[in-house]
Amino acid sequence: MAKEFTCTKLVQDKLDLLKSNAYNSVNSLLDKMALELAAKVDAKIESGQEIGLLEGIPFGIKDVYMVQGTYTTASSDLLKNYKSAYTATAIQKLLDAGAIPLVKENCDSFGHGSSSENTIFGAVKNAINSDLVSGGSSGGSAVNVAKDYTVFSIGGDTGGSIRQPAGYNNVFGLKPTYGRISRFGIMAYASSTDCVGPIAKSIEDIRIVLNVMSGKDIKDQTTYQSEKISEETILNTDEIKTIGYFKNFIESDAIDAQVKADFLASIEKIKTKGIEVKELDFFESDTLVSTYYTLAMAETASNLSRLDGTNYGARIEGDNLKDTYSITRSENFSQESKRRIVGGNQVLSQGFSDEIYLKGLNLRDQISDNFEKDFKEVDIILSPVTPNTPPKIGDSLNDPLAMYLSDAYTVGFSLGQLPTLTIPKGTATGLQISAAKNNDALVLQFANFLNDLI
Amino acid sequence: MSKIMTVDILSSIKGAQPSEAVNKLFEVIKNANLTNNNSFKNNHNNAVSLDDLREDVVIDSPKEEKKIIIENFPKEKNGYLVVSKVIEE
Repeated sequence: MAKEFTCTKLVQDKLDLLKSNAYNSVNSLLDKMALELAAKVDAKIESGQEIGLLEGIPFGIKDVYMVQGTYTTASSDLLKNYKSAYTATAIQKLLDAGAIPLVKENCDSFGHGSSSENTIFGAVKNAINSDLVSGGSSGGSAVNVAKDYTVFSIGGDTGGSIRQPAGYNNVFGLKPTYGRISRFGIMAYASSTDCVGPIAKSIEDIRIVLNVMSGKDIKDQTTYQSEKISEETILNTDEIKTIGYFKNFIESDAIDAQVKADFLASIEKIKTKGIEVKELDFFESDTLVSTYYTLAMAETASNLSRLDGTNYGARIEGDNLKDTYSITRSENFSQESKRRIVGGNQVLSQGFSDEIYLKGLNLRDQISDNFEKDFKEVDIILSPVTPNTPPKIGDSLNDPLAMYLSDAYTVGFSLGQLPTLTIPKGTATGLQISAAKNNDALVLQFANFLNDLI
Repeated sequence: MSKIMTVDILSSIKGAQPSEAVNKLFEVIKNANLTNNNSFKNNHNNAVSLDDLREDVVIDSPKEEKKIIIENFPKEKNGYLVVSKVIEE
């Protein structure tokens, strides 16, 4: 095969696109590191050495992942000058496979948001219509993939933060089973649902990147050993006989009429292929959203309590130690982050924990039980990604409750720790494919089937 | 020792108040029906077994890591982190 262009040129072209882009998708460019790595790949090709599948492939990283020596800001004032001292396991595995990191990507601060407007770097604009939000919290990552600035990007998904921006920008985004990929080196939001996952333009790219990042890691003891998913496995789409969808999601008053009609049309197409489709009962959207946010806020209040400006971060000196803590936190956290931290401390405090936090945990168990029961009857659960199309920039920040409720279709699968993929087909913001825990391969199989069908 | 801690103290955020939007979410939980009362069934329990714990050893950070940790100090003097005077109340 004749060499048409060098890896260095590929990387430089992408860096130029990222640098000049008007979508606010970039927090910082990793140009020096990227060009050095690209030169090494070119030298390898020049000397006739074989290169790996991901070698020389440019990718983006949500700005919540540690990459040694790079700024890792979580799109926050508190960490705007913070440099990672080490590299996240998932990112290290990609670096070891030869992939080239180009950019730390804009997102909602500490993952706190569904629109990528809660950021000090300016709201991320939607790749299809720049008056609209990109979705979030991994908005910059989804936009960079949609605009071909990166071949794939690594997002983080706690309650929908990969799947929803993937849907809003018409690309693929996978939240794998919780524990399949190490969380070591991602800034913790809600540790019991935080997942690392890829955003890309094809199912095959998702599969390759997932395989590279997966595996047990001694530095994250919730990880487990998983089998690599082969190309052949996911091309075999005959295994899926029965799927289900949540009736109440579709019958809800909150769903956009077109999203509903498109979803039901997709269901009809699936039926024509001889797949049985079952209507399933599920919890009401407000229960799902409230359970998720109660637990996520409790966890983020604990996780972010370390950010007090003592060892790192933008410390603002007060009269004494406690004063320094509270001024630093008051001035440097965004309104949304403060709202969640305060909410978390409310539910964890004496007198409230029993009737809210512990009850939330109990509801989570019931949600998981419900999924277990469902997956005895169906192989796959299909759902819209969002009830509505993306809002205009500026609307979400004014109405936090509406923003929380817009996560209605994604948070349940997070609480269940299930593998769930957004495929950019079927409705304006795509379809979500979920399977039982550890069944990530089945999700990709069905995605292939749907990709051909719709 | 029954001092009431308000959310601004618990959160170390000056003037912090509970928000109306978040309280609405909590109301939903308070009013939700539970079909069982066992809070600790733990389907979401991801704890590892005692046989599978990592070794309890101190690992010295590499030089580069230490250098960056010091670079991140908000206030530094002769390579040491400077912190406010600790007060007892």
